[in-house]
Amino acid sequence: MTMDFSHTPARGRRRRFQSGVMFAICVGFTAFILLILALVVGYLVSIGLRSMNWAMFTQNPIPPGMKGYPGGMAHAIVGTTILVGLSSLVGLPVGLLTGIYLAEYDAMSRLATPVRFIADVLAGVPSIVVAILGYELLVVPLGHYNGWAGSLALAFIMIPIVARTTEEMLRLVPSSYREAAIALGATKARTILGIVLPAATGSVITGVMLAVARVAGETAPLLFTALGSRFFTVNPNEPFPSLTVQIFNYATGPYPAQKSEAWAAILLLIFLIFLLNLSVRYFTRQRR
Amino acid sequence: MSSSGKRLLQANEDQVDAAKSVANSEAGAVRLRQGGFNGDFVLSYAARASAIIVLLMLAVLMIVLFHSALPSIKLFGWRFLVTSDWRPNELDRPIVGADGKPVLDEDGAVQIETVPPSFGALPVIFGTIVSSSIALVCAVPLSFGAALFLVRIAPRALVGPVSFMIEFLAAVPSLAYGIWGLFVLCPFLQGHLEPLLKQVFSHIPGLSWMFYQRLESGRWVPIALTGRDMLAGGLVLGIMILPIITAVSRDVLRAVPRTQLEATVALGATWWESCVEMLKYSRSGLFGAVMLGLARAAGETMAVTMVIGNNSQIKASIFAAAQSMSSLLANEFAEATTDEHRAALIEVALILLIMSLAFNVVARSLVVGKTARSAAGH
Repeated sequence: MTMDFSHTPARGRRRRFQSGVMFAICVGFTAFILLILALVVGYLVSIGLRSMNWAMFTQNPIPPGMKGYPGGMAHAIVGTTILVGLSSLVGLPVGLLTGIYLAEYDAMSRLATPVRFIADVLAGVPSIVVAILGYELLVVPLGHYNGWAGSLALAFIMIPIVARTTEEMLRLVPSSYREAAIALGATKARTILGIVLPAATGSVITGVMLAVARVAGETAPLLFTALGSRFFTVNPNEPFPSLTVQIFNYATGPYPAQKSEAWAAILLLIFLIFLLNLSVRYFTRQRR
Repeated sequence: MSSSGKRLLQANEDQVDAAKSVANSEAGAVRLRQGGFNGDFVLSYAARASAIIVLLMLAVLMIVLFHSALPSIKLFGWRFLVTSDWRPNELDRPIVGADGKPVLDEDGAVQIETVPPSFGALPVIFGTIVSSSIALVCAVPLSFGAALFLVRIAPRALVGPVSFMIEFLAAVPSLAYGIWGLFVLCPFLQGHLEPLLKQVFSHIPGLSWMFYQRLESGRWVPIALTGRDMLAGGLVLGIMILPIITAVSRDVLRAVPRTQLEATVALGATWWESCVEMLKYSRSGLFGAVMLGLARAAGETMAVTMVIGNNSQIKASIFAAAQSMSSLLANEFAEATTDEHRAALIEVALILLIMSLAFNVVARSLVVGKTARSAAGH
């Protein structure tokens, strides 16, 4: 690597000019990115707000041609809540405990380093591939599409994200807290449960909720596990409705009224994610 | 000290007080030493067990996929990767004789032959590679520019909000980008950009082929510009991977030692020249950031499915409808009726998994330790 910063008047002018141009390009690129992303979000917010209505939360879908068409998304909102709830039952404990292990127990051990690496890699596995796992493990044995398989796929996606988020949040707790607790004679478990976790409660909860919200926004893992349904159900043994699959079907379908339903519903998801991002920022800012 | 800092200290003291009072009480002292019902033991093993579950998850995923794809792997072998005919259903077609005319039976009716289904993954592998490449070409320069902006230019007051925007956009569901692509980008491409490009490029010799496609009969016909094509898929993917590449390369650049920067400036480097040294210094981390973007682009499903046009044939033009591995799975898996079809789809998923694992492993090993703050969760 050669660095030639030697100076002649002409060369200096050229270099300063080049530098100025590149500076402008960097600023321009950033502005361009923000502009594109603002266009995307702005568009979704504007059409979403226009189509938002109460029926979305209170009614089930009504087919075209029937009175009250297009109805609402109540079945899908309940469906997503149940799916995410079921997957949280498995995903949250495993994810949280793994996060605690990575942050609090031998953080650099022969187990922790590969676990951290695998968790990162798992977080990058395409969600459509995870759907096949759910299909093979729970749809094939049961013989039909069902909510359990959808929850399994979601839990699989949730665990690595929750684990790494929890680890990051616990690491923000100053180590003097742990030292103080241990100096006072607390056991390891007591230190973690009584001192470290309470000190990080806010950030862990919001971080984990953000992870859960991102899972709630997943569509691909549900396509051929829970499949989706136009009917209200709370029985996970049946094909199970979810907000995202419903949005996908409506948005790609032919009916304008259903498209506006999809727009309103996607805005709901975006808004949820925005709020959670905001609160994560609030909690992590105090510590950095 | 800021009020939040004070609050934190206060909380700290409260907790230490709490810990003290627990330790001081006699029962508490016993509890602390013995850990009640031996909570220490329980928590430690529960945490370790969970960590091991995470390790096993990847193994289970690989084994299940491999097992289910095995019939297809056995049946098609290597041909699966290099043949370009994806036809899940039987095809009835007239038998063509040596003279190029349909063969007739005694009654004068055209004889029909039935061609068995055929599964070749090349079109979707091609679709994934091309759409991800378009995405990278669009996103990488923009993201690096924005990362340099955040690290070297932006005033402190701006770094927070811009970083927040970028992190928020990384978390927006891909369905949202798909809807935007479907209702805004595709109509724009169809109505404005593509006709314009066609007007300009179809008169340049050597480029007009981009607007024509070859039919099975060998005839060349103009491609109907629908806006739902490879280009749309690539552009939507590009927009979706902007946040992640920007965020990771920002962290990588931020970790360049200050002395490195000061040294170049002391030698008389201009702003840009010192930036170049910075980029060179962190090139492996930046490569990791690009690989992370690539991994995400290759595995992204919903947005691509909505805009790429879903046609499982290889077309040279980016203005033709295409299909990526993930969109093929999204479109066909739930409707697959034969075991053969399903196994073939699972083999596609296995290829996708291996590809994305490779990208991720390379990326993570390059990025880990190169950033001030880990890039997890993006």
